[in-house]
Amino acid sequence: MTGPVAKLVMRGVDHHMAPTEVRERAHLDHTAAAAFLDALADEPGFVSAVPLSTCNRTELYLEVEPGFGLRRSLTAALTAAGVDPGLFFGEHARRLDGAEAVAHLYRLSSGLESMMIGEPQVTGQLKDAYRFARARHELGPVLLRAFQGAFRAGKRVRTGTKIGTGAVSVAFAAVELARKFFADLSDNRALLVGAGETGALAARHFLQGGIGGLTVVNRSPDRAAALAEDLNQGKGELVRARPWDELGKALATVDVVLATTGSPEPVIDAETVRTATRARKGKPLFLLDIAVPRDIHPDAADVDGAYLFGLDDLDEIVRTNLTARRKHVPDAEAIIDRELEEFHGWLADMDLRPTVAEFRAYLEQVKDKQLGYVRKRESDAVAAAVEENLQRFIKKVLGRSMSTIKNADSQEERLRRLSALREIFSPGEREQR
Amino acid sequence: MHEITAALNALLPLLYLATWGAYVWLFRTNREAARRWSRGLLDTTILAHAAALVLQTISQGRLPMSSPPEFLSLLALAVMMIYAVIEHRLGVRQTGFLVTGLTLILQAAASFVAGGAHTIDPLLEDPGYAGHASLVVLAYAALSLSFLYAILYLVLLRQLSRKQFGLLFRRMPPLETLERMSVGAAKIGVPLLFGSLALGHLWLYDLADRVDPQLASTLTPFDPKILASWVIFLGYALGLVGHRWWGWRGRRMNVLAIGAYLAVIATMSAIHRFFPSFHDFTRGGGA
Repeated sequence: MTGPVAKLVMRGVDHHMAPTEVRERAHLDHTAAAAFLDALADEPGFVSAVPLSTCNRTELYLEVEPGFGLRRSLTAALTAAGVDPGLFFGEHARRLDGAEAVAHLYRLSSGLESMMIGEPQVTGQLKDAYRFARARHELGPVLLRAFQGAFRAGKRVRTGTKIGTGAVSVAFAAVELARKFFADLSDNRALLVGAGETGALAARHFLQGGIGGLTVVNRSPDRAAALAEDLNQGKGELVRARPWDELGKALATVDVVLATTGSPEPVIDAETVRTATRARKGKPLFLLDIAVPRDIHPDAADVDGAYLFGLDDLDEIVRTNLTARRKHVPDAEAIIDRELEEFHGWLADMDLRPTVAEFRAYLEQVKDKQLGYVRKRESDAVAAAVEENLQRFIKKVLGRSMSTIKNADSQEERLRRLSALREIFSPGEREQR
Repeated sequence: MHEITAALNALLPLLYLATWGAYVWLFRTNREAARRWSRGLLDTTILAHAAALVLQTISQGRLPMSSPPEFLSLLALAVMMIYAVIEHRLGVRQTGFLVTGLTLILQAAASFVAGGAHTIDPLLEDPGYAGHASLVVLAYAALSLSFLYAILYLVLLRQLSRKQFGLLFRRMPPLETLERMSVGAAKIGVPLLFGSLALGHLWLYDLADRVDPQLASTLTPFDPKILASWVIFLGYALGLVGHRWWGWRGRRMNVLAIGAYLAVIATMSAIHRFFPSFHDFTRGGGA
């Protein structure tokens, strides 16, 4: 890549190109990321960097000046961080420079590079990485602007398209499925059968989803009570534990059942479900069996008023939603393209700014010198008229010069014109004259 | 006035088409712009149709429902009005494409299908009749919507039972909401039906003193359609009581709503076919 965007580079490993084992080895925790930034600080040509490390990727965004020894400096910094530098230059590495690196950052922030397209967590992770880097050192203008633009693009993509709709994780799919039965989960109670990790995760999602109450039933009452206490944190008495032998009674008082035990045999049979549904007078009972092997006997699916779903069903929902999300990718890309155009416009003007300032300073200097002569020989009124005319002249010359550079047919021509202007009006040239 | 009425009538099919288009757009994309357009067009269409109806009533001196096209147009407006109330109360717009699709068909039939020659029954020119007839049409429009939402409930339930998670799964409101819409429509329809029956009885009593004795002898409160309407009213009222106080919910409640509506259609069709009634205005055979 040539041109001004070459100041931003990205090296990384992600789920597209690297297996989990490589991604694990490339991971940078906060300590390692701090060591990485500290080691880079003294490298010649280094401006700033943002290291991003999540379970799906570790990406190093750097703003560098010409002459920065990328491979040598990164090798030293990654070694200082305790990470094998070879991972970032080998077959699993992603290497993007300039405009490609910026485009990747914008896509990443918009969820287009995620394993689950459109997932929102990556934006939060990017923001954390950005804040972490800013706390350690001052970000260069290009990196700063690129990240801010990426956050804006991400926000616009999420609000302007439906790329983030529909659950794409099994736990969220469970809540989404329950929401197809009940209008407002806060009017419903759930029963969690089992107090293991899977159950706790599912329960947390339902609590986040606004379920009106949760009862935990487990063979070990202590574990049920402990999980209820853990889930209740900050939520009052929303979650309660009940003894295992009250499973049948508990079933009759809830609308949603989450079966998650590790039992080798079903713990809820069709008859128990039938008894529970009888009292419901037709109101649906939503049964979600996410245990392997299954906790709810398959015959329960035939009970009138009971609707039984399993892991396969949740997977199907996730697959369907992902397919639907992919259809919104072109819309998202159109938004990103517009945002990138804005960024490149800003960047294009950025290299003009110092030259414009120098040129203006030179013209102002000439103007002041000429005005000095005029003021000595002519009246104040004449001097004021000359000053006004010279000011207009400077404005026209500056405007014409800048538009000549901006309207160049190619980037090479643009750079040639810019360097010509710099050469003519550089401080050194002025002093010689 | 005639020109304005004619212009509004010509505009109505286009407005119904635009409203339906906006709701289809909303169903397919769920975009905010589609939400705004659909609601705006729904309100505009209702207002335009109501204005056309009022102007037509004034210019003709009677409620325009003597011919099949007039009746279909009135029914389209009634369905739109009841739907607008339900949509406003529950804030659910995903089902609008079905309702507005139905009303588009009704209005298109009213606008483009010739009604044929018909005799206008003198009863239709009685001012007291307008209130009674309007309430009847609104009541049955509400019960029709209750039926439609009950059908949608069963369709979504079937999709869920068969583990089909396609467009309907993603776009349809929850089962509980569909049930609320069905019950909500019935809650509007039942009082309207009662109101129409009560008004009808009062009007009948009043009319008997004003018409000639021979005609008056045919105006009976034991008219088969009136009796059937009372039975329908009681049946729906019982369903609502069951829902409110006896906890009737879910598939059972919605099957009941569908059964009740089919019974209404079957009963009214049978009465219309086999029993003489002074409620038969379209043939000019009324009192």
